[in-house]
Amino acid sequence: MADTEERQRLLDEDGDIPSSRPINESGPGRPMSALCDPSRLLHRLVVLAFMCFLGFGSYFCYDNPAALQTQVIQDMNLNTSMFMQLYAWYSWPNVVLCFLGGFLLDRVFGIRLGTIIFALFVCIGQVIFAAGALLDRFWLMEVGRFVFGIGGESLAVAQNTYAVNWFKGKELNLVFGLQLSMARLGSTVNMNIMGWVYNRVAVLVGSVGHTTLGVSLMIAGATCIFSLICALVLGYLDKRAERILHKEHRGTGEVIKLTDVKDFPFPLWLIFIICVGYYVAIFPFIGLGQVFFIEKFNFSPAEARAINSIVYIISAPASPVLGFMVDKIGRNVIWVICAVFATLMAHMMLAFTFWNPWIAMSLLGVSYSLLACALWPMVAFVVPEHQLGTAYGFMQSIQNLGLALIAMAAGSILDQRGYLFLEVFFSACVCIALIAVVMLYFVDYLRGGDLNLSASARAKLHLKNSDSDSHITAIPSCSHWHTEVY
Amino acid sequence: MMAAKMFTIHFYVTFLLFTIRVSSSFIDYGENYRRNVSLELNPGLNSSLTPPPLGVGLIHVRALGQNDTLHYLFCSLGAPALLLVHTNSTSSKVEVDWPVFLSANASGSLRVTPESTVLHRNALIFTRLWEYSDVNDTAEPELLPFSSFFQPYELQNFTWGDLRKKLDPTAHTALLCGGDSSESFSNGSLCLKFSAFGSVGREKGWPSLLHNANSSQVRVWLDGVTPRSNRSRFSLELQSVGSTNPLTRVNVLQSIDDEYTPSIFKVAQWVSSPGNSSSPILSYAQWKPVAYRKASPVFEDATPCHHSTPVAIAQRPPSGLVLAYFGEGRQTTGLNITFSIAGDPFYNTTNYLSCVHYSAERGQCHQGIPLP
Repeated sequence: MADTEERQRLLDEDGDIPSSRPINESGPGRPMSALCDPSRLLHRLVVLAFMCFLGFGSYFCYDNPAALQTQVIQDMNLNTSMFMQLYAWYSWPNVVLCFLGGFLLDRVFGIRLGTIIFALFVCIGQVIFAAGALLDRFWLMEVGRFVFGIGGESLAVAQNTYAVNWFKGKELNLVFGLQLSMARLGSTVNMNIMGWVYNRVAVLVGSVGHTTLGVSLMIAGATCIFSLICALVLGYLDKRAERILHKEHRGTGEVIKLTDVKDFPFPLWLIFIICVGYYVAIFPFIGLGQVFFIEKFNFSPAEARAINSIVYIISAPASPVLGFMVDKIGRNVIWVICAVFATLMAHMMLAFTFWNPWIAMSLLGVSYSLLACALWPMVAFVVPEHQLGTAYGFMQSIQNLGLALIAMAAGSILDQRGYLFLEVFFSACVCIALIAVVMLYFVDYLRGGDLNLSASARAKLHLKNSDSDSHITAIPSCSHWHTEVY
Repeated sequence: MMAAKMFTIHFYVTFLLFTIRVSSSFIDYGENYRRNVSLELNPGLNSSLTPPPLGVGLIHVRALGQNDTLHYLFCSLGAPALLLVHTNSTSSKVEVDWPVFLSANASGSLRVTPESTVLHRNALIFTRLWEYSDVNDTAEPELLPFSSFFQPYELQNFTWGDLRKKLDPTAHTALLCGGDSSESFSNGSLCLKFSAFGSVGREKGWPSLLHNANSSQVRVWLDGVTPRSNRSRFSLELQSVGSTNPLTRVNVLQSIDDEYTPSIFKVAQWVSSPGNSSSPILSYAQWKPVAYRKASPVFEDATPCHHSTPVAIAQRPPSGLVLAYFGEGRQTTGLNITFSIAGDPFYNTTNYLSCVHYSAERGQCHQGIPLP
């Protein structure tokens, strides 16, 4: 996993925050309480808490449409392809923004202001989205999702950057894992709570309709306000720490050069195909899954929402565990093959059988976590350091492009041909990913590459290379590959 | 080798889909099984006899097979009824004694001769349209108190449009539209469209039930009827009369295929079978438990339906056709099909509701699984 290398590199350059006594304005020698001392663990834990909740609002509100699928469709009088536009519009800005996000944070706004701006975008986007429902204007809801998308993904970049700034060293992986778990917690809470919120609001308002929907979405927007507050607090604490510790400010560490794209090796393009082919069969499926479980398996709406959220619930604890396992064992390509194959089985189980869908969805959750832990670090193995930012940015970009397009296609397929066809379509997408990963195995094997090395072999290879390695600057943190797609 | 395995997975997905599509028609009746279908209105009525009142008519469809005949009789005298008679001769015909048929005591005025060739007969009657006010939005009328129900619309009291104008002899369809004299039907109507088929196929409009040469179809829809409350939901009452084997139970079959009815994975069949449940099914009425809220529905206009358990009914159905053919004293069963589920929009959102029933006779030389 890239984090292992990162950790080693950072340890090499003596990564711990200097433990010298802090100097504050009233002169040397006055100790601060552990809570207020930026070099002490307790303070950093407080900062960690704010960092984790920074992304909570964005993940909570991202899946609001899925949690309220039937209500959105009925109250706004939509068909399924229009409904999926709400997801497509979230993805469109990120086709471009994945390249720009890190740049904006480093050069233009700075990490603190940038985070606050992106958190503002998230809030404003959700408010516009809710206002669109209140005023019964679907185009306004789409605008809201677009604005929300601008903020959401870039906020994840900011979150990662803060994590690196405060926790470089041994704790970084744990912090990433925690942030990821918080993200998934946000999604899960959303799936299971929004239905209840809607019903309570319906009682308050007196009837169902777009007003009820708008009010529920505004209530969901409260989590975004909460994230904004966290952003403000983080900005203050970061500024204070910088002042007290005279900390050197680290940027996102990435360098984006679009011309690097033509130098990408063939295995990297295969990795891109795997990424797109896989994720387009997960997120749109979750977006449309509620009605599927209600109709085919006779679940109640609450049960259907719960099973829809199981993928996220499982990935919260599973990702760190599986990440640890992949770290220890290596052999990334084999794990990717297993994950893709398991997802294919899960989709086929849901399409062609009436077996208990909890089995298929749990399988989907585990394989989704496994793929994230095994796939994204592979980029770091095939691409030189100075191109890593561009590679990750490009990968996120085409992933968002794929999601935007396939979200609309999925809605339209469902409208015309039903769920069986849709599941077969998703299975076909996963098949494409499977073909790509098998090709990747052979290409790597035949070229004598090192994608599928075991962890010990890779460590040996690294030691051999580290003598001649110059010092590294680029840290691959553009991506919410740590947070969202995990 | 991994490459070979990869191919197998790919192929398997396509193969499975192919098998599902082909076998559904292969196992059942064979794609090439056809009948020669002809349609006539009011058989045996010549100009010397008193014509029936406007809107009353008897449609006779003759589906001729190689060595058997299916007679479908669709009649609007009293409650609309569809009678299916299966004979094992190619020269059986329908004889109607019109003066007796149109009188009050019409028993025995309709015969299918020669009577010794009759193998099986069954009738499906549309008797009542119930309307209730779903105050708690549960769409479960059997749990509601009697006070939530409005006076049902008795289909035997409806006045229908002229059948002669709505007949299509080439497509073998007939349209019966009408209403009762109350205000609710001043701008709207209840329509029944009867279609007979001579070969395998699917209709274009949803729910696109698969039909074959042994089946006919009735599409029921309610258009523009003024509901009597803001929370009105409807329920259709069906009754059935059979010879020795009336339709007694409803099987709900689950299917993985929702291609023609997105998000509906079930088919309901009201079957008649002699003796116990393992004996072959002789005839059935089938429907997909879905109704649509628009004439050209999209995915979101579908609303699921559910049905009640069939019960025995003491009186015979109020249909002239049933009285004429079966006479008195036949076993009658009935059930209700309720439209919508809890949380779905009420009738007044679109003022349209449609539902399709499909009635078929299973050929004796064929065994098979029910149609998707």
